[in-house]
Amino acid sequence: MSHSNRNFVIAYILLVGLPLLGLVGVLRSGRSLSAPFSVDGAWRIQAGAAHTAAAPCGDFLYSVSNSPVSISQSGASLVIGLGGKTTTGTLDGKTIKAQFAGAVTPNATDCSDRSLTLTATLDPLTEPRTLSGRLTVESCESCAPVEFRAVKQPRPAGGTR
Amino acid sequence: MPNLFILVLQVAVVLFACRVTGALFKKIQQPRVVGEMFAGIMLGPSLLGWIAPQFSAYLFPASSLGFLNALSQIGVIVFMFLVGLKINPMELKKESHAAVLASHVSITAPFVLAAFLALYLYPRLSDDSVAFTNFALFMGAAMSITAFPVLARILQERRMLSSRLGTVAIACAAVDDVTGWCILAYIVVLIRAAHSDTSIWMTLGGIVVFGLVMVFGVQRLLKGVFLNAYEKWGHLSENRMAFMLLLVLVSALFTERLGIHLLFGAFLMGAIMPKEDKFVRYVLDRFETITVTLLLPLFFAFTGLRTNIGLVKGPQMWMYCGLIILVATAGKLGGSTLAAWMSGMPFREAAGLGTLMNTRGLMELVILNIGLDIKIISPALFSMMVIMALVTTFMTTPVLNLICPKEMLEGEKVGAERVSAPAVGLQETGVA
Repeated sequence: MSHSNRNFVIAYILLVGLPLLGLVGVLRSGRSLSAPFSVDGAWRIQAGAAHTAAAPCGDFLYSVSNSPVSISQSGASLVIGLGGKTTTGTLDGKTIKAQFAGAVTPNATDCSDRSLTLTATLDPLTEPRTLSGRLTVESCESCAPVEFRAVKQPRPAGGTR
Repeated sequence: MPNLFILVLQVAVVLFACRVTGALFKKIQQPRVVGEMFAGIMLGPSLLGWIAPQFSAYLFPASSLGFLNALSQIGVIVFMFLVGLKINPMELKKESHAAVLASHVSITAPFVLAAFLALYLYPRLSDDSVAFTNFALFMGAAMSITAFPVLARILQERRMLSSRLGTVAIACAAVDDVTGWCILAYIVVLIRAAHSDTSIWMTLGGIVVFGLVMVFGVQRLLKGVFLNAYEKWGHLSENRMAFMLLLVLVSALFTERLGIHLLFGAFLMGAIMPKEDKFVRYVLDRFETITVTLLLPLFFAFTGLRTNIGLVKGPQMWMYCGLIILVATAGKLGGSTLAAWMSGMPFREAAGLGTLMNTRGLMELVILNIGLDIKIISPALFSMMVIMALVTTFMTTPVLNLICPKEMLEGEKVGAERVSAPAVGLQETGVA
């Protein structure tokens, strides 16, 4: 083997072979890592608020708590869509928290322009996964928080995120 | 049914934004493609959707994006065919020690560094629906890609195609792209197999059979149908051009059906096309104008609409983004430079090679879109990687000016005709 060929082989082992061994190690050690639970996708509300037209915000809460929920996830950061509104939220373990901002000077009599807080707990063991949560209209004394339950929808085949 | 008025309006706005921004970037000595990538991001939620959300919602309603995506994907299919067409396997066989080492290191270094970075990013930017191995392999493939066409274009603009640096860079980029796409195909198969009833061995077997049929069967047919006809008449009839396009689409459909992706079939069809220089240039001339001026800008816009820089929020997220850029640059630029220098290339030239290899351009966007489609990367990570692609492509020209002034390389010509001929075409009109 010529001098230049020997140098080439040594350089190749050092710069290609060894890093590839490192890659194997990384892939093995990475298997023990855990990432946040997946909540990304569309969720169908199974049990939202009952229609209570008597309460001032009855229509609003009925409509919101029965709208499909869409979640776009990046680790623990979430972008949540609900009832035509979008906000950012967080996933802390199994708990989702998000707040939909209301109007700067809210004045709607049905409280539909107030801030809306969503808190939900994920059940990662069920298949498909489910969320049990609560929607609270802020600064609206006549609106009692409503419970909801949502089921994760299967991903459309070949669909985009 | 698409709203035709909105669709045509979208195409017009995208075309205008891409041409104007591309021209502005050319004025600051950047490849047009960087400007077009930037224009795509400006049309998305990162700028237009942020400053004029109502106009953005009117111009790009969610219901219309499927049609825009379909049009843009046709463009990317033709683009990948043209990229494959430009890659000449004979050039790869002529690689020197420097090129072999530099090309292999320019894949392994960013790949391994990206896998290390994946250890840190996986718990922070991914979720438990994605296996770590798939995440790490995807990050590796995405960071090790080089924009072969934009690199060739930069070299041509600087009259460096025939220099030693130019020839090594072209060979390295070709090896990188072929390897990168093979790794990506493997990852896509792994992920799709997990959600499919077909066993992975059936899929892999199908891919191997398809590859063999293409290389040992279809390739010969192509020579007879296209090259011989071209050599006989000096041009190809419209029917033959349509047949070529049909073959690209059929090949794309086959690979999609096999569970990899449409783009692999298009790329493979280009790669097995005859490589006679005049023929390659002729085909490029016929296909690229409409692809580059009309369809690829739609892809940039669609990518921009999926890129939300607003998701990269807060110092922590920006630190992740910075880390991604740092690791991508250290692996590609640093790895290639070190390998070329250890192979005996002078340091400045080796650093020039590393800088060129760090160009990611449109190829990176294609890979990232696949990653987002198969949900292996999250929207925030997608946005960070798009920023990385923009930054690494943008930095190429100024860093190259600094390291390798034009005068330094003009004297060094080796095999000018051999390399420059097939590299003309895509880069002239701005494909990257």
